[in-house]
Amino acid sequence: MASMLEFRTPGFNPYAVKYSPYYDSRLAVAASAHYGIVGNGRLFVLGLGPGGIQLERAFETNDAQYDLVWSEINENQLLVACGDGSLKLFDLAAGDFPIMSFSEHKREAFSVCWNPITKDSFISSSWDGTVKIWSPSRPTSLKTLPVGTCTYSACFSPTNPAIISCVSSDSHIRIFDLRTPVSAKYHLVSIIPAHAPPPGPTLPLLSTGEVFAGNVPAEILTHDWNKYRDTVLATGGVDRLVRTFDVRNPAGGPLAVLPGHEYAVRRLAWSPHASDVLATASYDMTVRVWSDGSQLQPRRPPEHPNSNSNNTNIIPVGTQLGLMNRHAEFATGVDWCLFGAGGWLASAGWDQRVLVWDAHSLLRG
Amino acid sequence: MGALDRLSQLGNQLSGGAIAGGRAKLLEKHPDDIVVTVALRTAITKGGKGGFKDTHAADLMAGALKGIIDRSKIDPALVEDIVVGTVLAPGGGATEMRAAALVAGFPESTAVRTLNRQCSSGLQACVDIANQIRAGMIEVGIGAGVESMSLQYGPAAVTEFSDLLESHPQAANCKVPMGVLSEQMAKDRNITRASQDAFAAASFQKAAKAQAAGLFKEEILPLKVKFEDPKSGETKEIVVDRDDGIRDGVTAESLGKIRPAFAKDGSIHAGNASQVSDGAAAVLMMKRSTAERLGQPVLGKFVAASVVGVPPLLMGIGPWKAIPKVFELTGITKDDVDIFEINEAFASQCLWCANELGLPPEKINPKGGAIAFGHPLGCTGARQVSTLLYELRRTGKKVGVTSMCVGTGMGMAAVWVAE
Repeated sequence: MASMLEFRTPGFNPYAVKYSPYYDSRLAVAASAHYGIVGNGRLFVLGLGPGGIQLERAFETNDAQYDLVWSEINENQLLVACGDGSLKLFDLAAGDFPIMSFSEHKREAFSVCWNPITKDSFISSSWDGTVKIWSPSRPTSLKTLPVGTCTYSACFSPTNPAIISCVSSDSHIRIFDLRTPVSAKYHLVSIIPAHAPPPGPTLPLLSTGEVFAGNVPAEILTHDWNKYRDTVLATGGVDRLVRTFDVRNPAGGPLAVLPGHEYAVRRLAWSPHASDVLATASYDMTVRVWSDGSQLQPRRPPEHPNSNSNNTNIIPVGTQLGLMNRHAEFATGVDWCLFGAGGWLASAGWDQRVLVWDAHSLLRG
Repeated sequence: MGALDRLSQLGNQLSGGAIAGGRAKLLEKHPDDIVVTVALRTAITKGGKGGFKDTHAADLMAGALKGIIDRSKIDPALVEDIVVGTVLAPGGGATEMRAAALVAGFPESTAVRTLNRQCSSGLQACVDIANQIRAGMIEVGIGAGVESMSLQYGPAAVTEFSDLLESHPQAANCKVPMGVLSEQMAKDRNITRASQDAFAAASFQKAAKAQAAGLFKEEILPLKVKFEDPKSGETKEIVVDRDDGIRDGVTAESLGKIRPAFAKDGSIHAGNASQVSDGAAAVLMMKRSTAERLGQPVLGKFVAASVVGVPPLLMGIGPWKAIPKVFELTGITKDDVDIFEINEAFASQCLWCANELGLPPEKINPKGGAIAFGHPLGCTGARQVSTLLYELRRTGKKVGVTSMCVGTGMGMAAVWVAE
């Protein structure tokens, strides 16, 4: 790992890092004083150059920053989710103050996502148990989707602008389809219990031969849609497991399970370059790169002494491709660069560091 | 958006608790938990003839508070507030309880107040102390309750209703005597005499068994008091260290012979209602971090409490409404609870609540209840804490609920975890 670039965020603990979708040399970091517990927030916009990582701009907020997203319609604009429930839109070409502030959430705003298809709207999720849909040009939200429990992460489907997903502390994935009529269910079309094992008379086995132990509800902290398989998403959370799901089969249990993290999985991002690869950042201070195994031939599980040979209820286990352990505190953010050969990652952690590195360096031996 | 909320949210994500809520979350230990380090009670004795018949409520309280100092060995100056629940004392007992705290050995710097939420006063006192600690107002406090029904029970407990109160039907219902309205409720809700007698007999049998096995030893603080012998008229000092209302050999059949007390064709009688009694109880509470700093052993923790209102004439259904509410506050279900201490004001109402909530009989009042050993009004809520926590600890169980109905139509419930 010789070619690892580093940037320090003194006095601020990063919560999220995102590459610009416009330039391969620009990224942004949302960070908070005092670990986001109390104090203000700072948005760092960074440039990659021959001299390493340089600070291009910084924007202050009055409360902690927990997430950020780059605008899909303006290369100079980015949006942060703040501890006071507000969302603030900053412009690199404008002054130090936000050009728009969206204040409706009653508790901490925890995630933001821009619509990647229509590019004219974005969503936010909050500890107040709602997901809100916004237009960057209107100060009030277009729509509120009730979830009911602390909602840590909300995403647009990368292939369908009307489909929104979110995950929350009640251990469920919710899928909303805005094309459905506003019925009593507020566009909710599917609710997937992430902890539920595939249906069957017995507890399923993992393809490693162990009995699946993840059948207990746990807070889900992060999720992301696969960029190639338009019905597949992955979740990560407090029970330390990463799971992949096919949203067409809400009761079918996970497609694959990726065990390995030693503490909660805080951030997850599918690769924009390969359909089976994803990266995760965890409170165990590591960032890991995985394959969910979907590109491999299905494996036969090894015979297990405790297993019933008739047990066909088997969940495939993915493969950990590599582990990056240079962070010295919780790893909270990870993102893939859209450009280049593929495999460049940026990660950020509470050790007040942003690291930019090539995932291929992990894969060797 | 408070820092504490953010910290606890993070803590939960980290503690590896693979669980989003419920029982496992309840069992987690955090530095800001409100914990009980000592809980005790005096014996509970029969009103008018038991061991405490000549002992003033304040003297009982002074004894219990002194017991807290002796058992915890805490520096009394660290206790910043004492709340005493008491129902019948004229003037709320405010003056006597302040004096009792001084007698017990607390310095002038320890504040004292009394409160009255009828039968839940003792629990309300503990909840108030817990909330004061949680809010940062005090660090260490005592929730307590006391009643001398021998000396203070009587018609003077309620003043005459004004014409204004009498003119409002629901308001006027607030003064309907508890026995009368419970009789009506038993009739309306089809709670048979036989089922009440069976419940009451079970309470006596459980209490007698527990007493014989010495299961009340840990919670009872023996108290030396003056006692006037009703036969010889001479006054002597006695040590009261056991509940004298508990009778062995009570069966549903033997209770079946007692005449109803409130209506000729009624079902409620002296044997299936709570006894008139005297007693005191006290609970020493602080944050877990404080307990660790002071070297106080943790007996259990207070999780949450609920209070609800119900129609005054149906006051007996209070626990039926309060228990689900406290479940909602804590994110648990009845299956997560190991023991329910539900006050047996009347067998009829306690049984109805239990049946309606679907609580298994073996989880309810495993050492008997107020039918067997009495219900000194202000004391009961604080008494249940001792009874519950020692039983949970003895049996290796964890989660308990205390609850009671409250005269004039209310209910309270609280969730506790033993450690």
